[in-house]
Amino acid sequence: MAAISSDTSRKPRISYHEFYTDGFTPREHYRPLWEHIQSVGQNAFEAKVHESQLALHAEGVTFTVYGDSDEGIERIWPFDLIPRIIPASEWNIIESGLKQRVRALNLFLKDIYHDQRILKDGVVPAELIYQGKDFRREIMGVDPPHDIYTHISGIDIIRDEDGKYLVLEDNLRTPSGVSYMIENRVIERRILPEFFAKYRVRRVEHYPALLLEALRAVSPRGTGQAEIVVLTPGIYNSAYFEHTFLAKEMGVELAEGRDLVAKDDVVYLKTTTGLQRVDVIYRRVDDDFLDPLVFRSDSTLGVAGIINAWRAGNIAIVNAPGNGIADDKAVYPYVPDIIRYYLAEAPILQNVPTYQMTDPEERAYVLDNLERMVVKAVSESGGYGMLMGPASTPALRKEFAAKVLENPRNYIAQPVVQLSRHICYMDGELEARHLDLRPFIIYGDDIDVVPGGLTRVALTKGSLVVNSSQGGGSKDTWVLAE
Amino acid sequence: MLSRIADSIYWMSRYLERAGDTARLMEINLLYLLEAEEDMSEGDKWRPLLSITSAETAFSGLYGEGQLTQGRVLQFMTAEKSNGNSIRTCLRLARENARIARDRISREMWEAINELWLNVDQQLKTPLHPLRASQFFSLVRSEVARFHGLTSTTMMRGEAFGFYRLGTFLEQADMTARILDVKYHLLLPDLNLVGSALDYYQWAALLKSLSGYEAFRRKYHAGFRPMDVVEFTIFEQEFPRSLAYTVKRMHRALADTGITGKQRSPIALERLEAMLAGNSAEQIFSTGLHEFLEEFLAAIAALNQAAQADFLDTHMEEP
Repeated sequence: MAAISSDTSRKPRISYHEFYTDGFTPREHYRPLWEHIQSVGQNAFEAKVHESQLALHAEGVTFTVYGDSDEGIERIWPFDLIPRIIPASEWNIIESGLKQRVRALNLFLKDIYHDQRILKDGVVPAELIYQGKDFRREIMGVDPPHDIYTHISGIDIIRDEDGKYLVLEDNLRTPSGVSYMIENRVIERRILPEFFAKYRVRRVEHYPALLLEALRAVSPRGTGQAEIVVLTPGIYNSAYFEHTFLAKEMGVELAEGRDLVAKDDVVYLKTTTGLQRVDVIYRRVDDDFLDPLVFRSDSTLGVAGIINAWRAGNIAIVNAPGNGIADDKAVYPYVPDIIRYYLAEAPILQNVPTYQMTDPEERAYVLDNLERMVVKAVSESGGYGMLMGPASTPALRKEFAAKVLENPRNYIAQPVVQLSRHICYMDGELEARHLDLRPFIIYGDDIDVVPGGLTRVALTKGSLVVNSSQGGGSKDTWVLAE
Repeated sequence: MLSRIADSIYWMSRYLERAGDTARLMEINLLYLLEAEEDMSEGDKWRPLLSITSAETAFSGLYGEGQLTQGRVLQFMTAEKSNGNSIRTCLRLARENARIARDRISREMWEAINELWLNVDQQLKTPLHPLRASQFFSLVRSEVARFHGLTSTTMMRGEAFGFYRLGTFLEQADMTARILDVKYHLLLPDLNLVGSALDYYQWAALLKSLSGYEAFRRKYHAGFRPMDVVEFTIFEQEFPRSLAYTVKRMHRALADTGITGKQRSPIALERLEAMLAGNSAEQIFSTGLHEFLEEFLAAIAALNQAAQADFLDTHMEEP
C-alpha cells in the first residue's frame, strides 16, 4: 500500500524514454536500428508502412469494437513498424519476476478455494475475498487437474520515471493479445527483414505450440487422449480473431457454447457424425457465462453442466473458473504479501503504489487529489470503468467521487505514473508515445514466459491509455538473446 | 467436424456462388441492353432479373410499384443492404461464414474472400455508375473464380471440402434452373421472332449467363433451337452448369461430407436424380418446361432443408 507521505505525484515527473538517453542519443541497444532507419530514407519507409497496412488488411487481422451496428465494427489491428527492444539483462528480471508472481498467485487461488490459510493468518482480509464479484463459492473444494488455475496469464508491465519495471495489472482470466504479438512479428519480419539481420531476436512464434503442450498436459485422460477445443463467445467478440488464430495454429476445434453438450458429467462436441468427447476446454468465455446452471442462468454462450463435469474431474477448464478473485484490482495491492507468504521470497517486480478506497484516510486523500489519480473499477478490464485524472473534467471527477463513496470496495486509485515513451512513426514523423508491455506466461508442466509480449502504444499524443478498445496501437517487441 | 462449422462452410460457398452468378447475370443484361430494341421499356429490360432472383416483391416494397429503372435495379442488386441477394449482402454473408469457419479453411481462401469483401464494400460506398458497372461485375466474377481455384489447390479433401462443393453445386443448379425458367418465359411466347436478330441475342444472352455460349455453338450448328438449348442446359453431361452435371456432383459431394446414417438428404437428392434420369427434352416440352423447372426448384429447396437438418442435427449418442 502506498504511504501517503512518500507520494511524489504532486511533482510532475518526466517519463522514461525507451529509445533515447536524451533527446538525441539512442540508447546502446537501439543504435543499429537507429542507423538503419536513417539509411532507409523517408519515402522507402513510407512505402513499408503502406505495405504493412495492406498486409494486415488482407489477412483480416482485426479486433472488434463493441457497437450496435448489426455488421459489427471490425477494426484493422493498429501496428507501428518501429520495434521495441528489450536487452537480455532487463528481460531476465522481468521473466523471473513473472514466474515468481504467477507461481504465488496460483498457490493463492488453490488456498482460497480450499483451506484459506492466508485469510486465517490475516495476511489478506477475508471480507475482501468474500465481497469480490469474481470469488466463486460454487467451486470451493474442487481440485483442478494438476492444481493449476492460471494456465495462461498476461501481466501488464510499465516502466516508471526511473525506468524501473512495475506490474500494473494481473490478467488471469482470459488475457488476450498473444495472436497480435505473433502477427506483429510475422509482419515485421516480412516488411523489414533487414532490421532483424542486425540483432539476435528471441522467437515468439512457438507460443501456440507451448500452449498446446500445456493444454495436453492437463487432460484428465492423459496426454494420449486429449481432445482439445477453444471455446469462443462467437464472431462478435472483440478477440474473435485471436480465438480463430489459436484454434488454427494448434489444429483444434473452435467451438461456441451451442456446439457443446454435457451428459452424465462428460462434455461432448456436436459433430456431423455424432457426439465426440472433449477433455480440455481452453475457454475464452467469462465465468459468468460459462454455465447457466451454476452462474448466470440467462447465458447462451456457455454449456449447461460444464462445471459439474469439471468437478467430477472429467474435463480441464483453462483457465480455471474463479481466477477473477486473484486479478481483482482490490487484491492487487496484496500481491507482494502473497508472494512473501507462499514462497518466502522477496518480490522481484514491484507494484505501482495503490490506494485502497476502503481505507478512510487513503480514500480522503485520493478524493482530494483526483486530478492526479487514476481510479479503476476493480473488476473491469480493457480500459472500461476508469478515470484518468489529468485528462478528466470536474463533472467526471464529481461523478467518480460519488461512485467511490457509494461502493469503496469497487475502486482503487493509483497516482498517475508517466508510462515510458518510445518513438513511433506517425504521419511521416518520429514522435514519442507512451507504452506498456503485456508478456504471456504459460503454466503447464513448467512455467514458460514467452520472450516478448504485446507492447501497446497510446497513439494519441500525451495519452496514457493504451488499450486497443480505446484506440491504442502496438509494436513488435524484441527480446535480445544474451 | 462441428455441425455448425459444416453449416457455415456450406453457406459460405452458396453465398459466394450467388454473388458471382448475380454479377454474371447483371453483366450480361447490361451488355444485352446496349443492343436491345428501342421500344422496350426500362422496366421490361430489367424485370426478368428481379424475377430470376425472386426479388420483385422486395424491390417494389422498397421503391414502390412501377419504379423500375436501370439505376435503381443496379443499386438494388449490387449495394442494397436490405436485399438479401444483393452482391454486397451475399459477399458480406459469405465472408462472415468464412470468418466463422476461418480455422477450417485455408489461409489463401480466407484472404481471397476477405479481400474481395473489403474491395466490394469500398467500391459500393458510392453508387455504381452504369459505365463502371461492367468492370465491377467482371471483378466479382473473376474473384469468385479465383476463390474456387484457390480452394481446389489448397483445401484438404475431406468432409469440409464436401460441404463446400455441396453448397457450390446446389447454388449453381438453382441458378441454372431459375435463369432457364425466366428467360424461357420471356423468350418463347413470340414464336414469330424465332430466327430473328432479337431471338439470336436473347438466346445468346441466356447461354452467356451460364458461361455456356461458346460450348453450345461448338456442339450445335443449327442456330438456337429452344429444344437444343434445353437439352444442353438440362441434360448435357459435359457442361459444368447443366442440371445433370451439377446434380451428379452433388451426389459425390454429399458422399464426401460423411454424414452417414442420416436419411434426409440422400432421399431428397434421389428425388432430383429421378427427375433427370429417363427424362428428355422432348418429354419436358410436352408436359411444360415451366412446370418441370418449378418442380425442380422445389426439389432443390427440399434438398437444402434436408441437408441442413442433417448436418445440424447431431445424434445424441456417442459414436
